[in-house]
Amino acid sequence: MIYLYWYLGVGAVVLAVVYGAHHLTKEKESDSLRELLEAVNPDRKKLSYRILNNIVAPVLAAILVVAVWPVAIYMKVKEMLQEKESYVSPEEREFAVEREHLLERLTVQEIERREVVTDPLKAAPDLPFGHLNAAWQEFLQGKPDGAELWSFSAQWQTTWGRKELRCGYAVVQDGAPGAHFLTVWKDIPEEAEGGGSAKKARAGDIPGWLRKQAD
Amino acid sequence: MTAQIAERLHYQGEDVAMCTNPLSDYFAMGGTNPRFESNCTALWRGYVGSWEIVDERLYLVGLSGTLEGGADATLATIFPDFPDRVFAHWYSGTIRIPQGKQLEYVHMGYGSTFERDLFLDIERGVIVSTRVRHNGTAESDNAPEGYEVGAMTVFPRSGKGEGESA
Repeated sequence: MIYLYWYLGVGAVVLAVVYGAHHLTKEKESDSLRELLEAVNPDRKKLSYRILNNIVAPVLAAILVVAVWPVAIYMKVKEMLQEKESYVSPEEREFAVEREHLLERLTVQEIERREVVTDPLKAAPDLPFGHLNAAWQEFLQGKPDGAELWSFSAQWQTTWGRKELRCGYAVVQDGAPGAHFLTVWKDIPEEAEGGGSAKKARAGDIPGWLRKQAD
Repeated sequence: MTAQIAERLHYQGEDVAMCTNPLSDYFAMGGTNPRFESNCTALWRGYVGSWEIVDERLYLVGLSGTLEGGADATLATIFPDFPDRVFAHWYSGTIRIPQGKQLEYVHMGYGSTFERDLFLDIERGVIVSTRVRHNGTAESDNAPEGYEVGAMTVFPRSGKGEGESA
């Protein structure tokens, strides 16, 4: 019998450690995250869900930890080792012009001639790249002496699977593309878009919206 | 996440909601970004632009927003030499204009669906084609008509830690 007391006593200590570690490391659920989760699963707002999630599940977990604490320790160690091995940064890949995207070598004068913006209502400056002329000038200032300018067109797939078309001009030095200036940046519609499915359309709209909020 | 307040578009004599943010592309392409402040969860971008189509061209004709520090933002804040009208030559993409009754409300982004979507395909600020997609018919006669945001949290002026729901 004494062995059982010892076993349950160690289990209680393990439970206290697990509980304390959980509270110290748990990130607070933000309002925006809570709204997102509730939008995806409206049941989260129900009293029954909250009782199950906040009371029943923790009590059952505590009983299990005390009863079979060696399994809890094994699973925690395994989880920690797996986290170290498989962690991949979720950050979105950064777009970069590659050699196969390059189209044509051009001079500054040639580019500026073809990119002058004209508007019948005079709602844009009659300058290369119009309202983005200052950004273009800044781009040119960063171009190293002797570097070339090339036009480019690239189809790009983001980390999240969205396809984009990006066009513009890139600095090329010793054959390697570097900094770029965008003139076109748009989503390539999914082939299924014409099919008339509202759900497919919505699935495409949300990542698009997220990108548009990047400002 | 919360459904977002749409941009406004004057198109073919009507004022409609526009579920696309062309100004975001301007900022992303190197245009001056004055750093807006969000004052509620339904407007993370911090501003609402008013747009117009004239002779198949997309123009930004107004802007209402709040800058970091609390000052009001207008069109002149971003385009000081063009305070009344700006040709959106930087924008290429598809503008979405929801039409008809709401099929499903989604409390995230521009995710809600409507009976129809009018798409304006734009190349460097000029409309090149338009198309309508039919998404279905609302089951209820009482389904709301037009784009709307169901709820939001308004931030107090001092910070975003706590707010009031609307």
